[in-house]
Amino acid sequence: MGAVTTAPAEVEQAEADEVVVPDTPWTTVVWNDPVNLMSYVTYVFQSYFGYARKKAEKLMLDVHEKGKAIVSSGTREAMERDVEAMHGYGLWATMQKAGDRG
Amino acid sequence: MSAAFHQVEIELLRSLVGQLLELVRDEESTRDPRQANDPLAEAFGLGDDPSRPSDPVVLRLFPDAYRDDDEAADEFRRFTERGLREAKAGAAATVLASLTAAGPVEPDEPSDPGREKVRLTLDPDEAQAWLRTLTDLRLALGTRLGVEEGDEERWEELPDDDPRRQVHDVYDWLGWVQETLVRALAPGL
Repeated sequence: MGAVTTAPAEVEQAEADEVVVPDTPWTTVVWNDPVNLMSYVTYVFQSYFGYARKKAEKLMLDVHEKGKAIVSSGTREAMERDVEAMHGYGLWATMQKAGDRG
Repeated sequence: MSAAFHQVEIELLRSLVGQLLELVRDEESTRDPRQANDPLAEAFGLGDDPSRPSDPVVLRLFPDAYRDDDEAADEFRRFTERGLREAKAGAAATVLASLTAAGPVEPDEPSDPGREKVRLTLDPDEAQAWLRTLTDLRLALGTRLGVEEGDEERWEELPDDDPRRQVHDVYDWLGWVQETLVRALAPGL
């Protein structure tokens, strides 16, 4: 140990309780199931969410190949509506806080 | 849009959709009877999830909305399940009505009983009801059968007279009808 250096007089502390909560803290997740047809799942993503064909197909393939996909995000209330709608279409959907690993 | 079916197919659909309608309307019988009939457990909150369906088919039609939060899943169920049941029952009833309205394709041409063809015409709302009802039927049959991803061979290897194979054939056929309907609604998919 050599010369003692002076520590900075003040250390900036991260203010944990000031972390800004994002506007869209919830997500709707659709899970793969062995029953639903790929064409139908794409159709649902297009007609319910209004996604373009390309985006709907990408999400469908994520569901099929990765087992799940986040299909929408927003307020908790909005995600409850989306999950309910997905159940109406017969898709297996859940909701979770953004960032949660399902 | 319109589609032609054999009379036997119409009868098969009528029977399946009728059963689905009973299933989604009959809320009480699909609960776990031990939980439903044990007021003491309920009073003390011992039934940890009193409204959760015990039948895997019903659970697939009305899945948990939260994976790791039973309380939130239960609350979601309380607020949504009745409406979802009504919507699914409404779609099934619409399909039944359109099956009843099906008319003969070639009324003058004699054919074998059951092989007569009937033509069914669907407006956009009816087509949506068909999409959803075909999905619910396949979810119900697929869950009962234990269908899994890429398991086609398993069913093909069953003997012709195995009832599971026959149910799986129906399940496959419903998938084919639905695929046809999706492609008619969204050309190119």
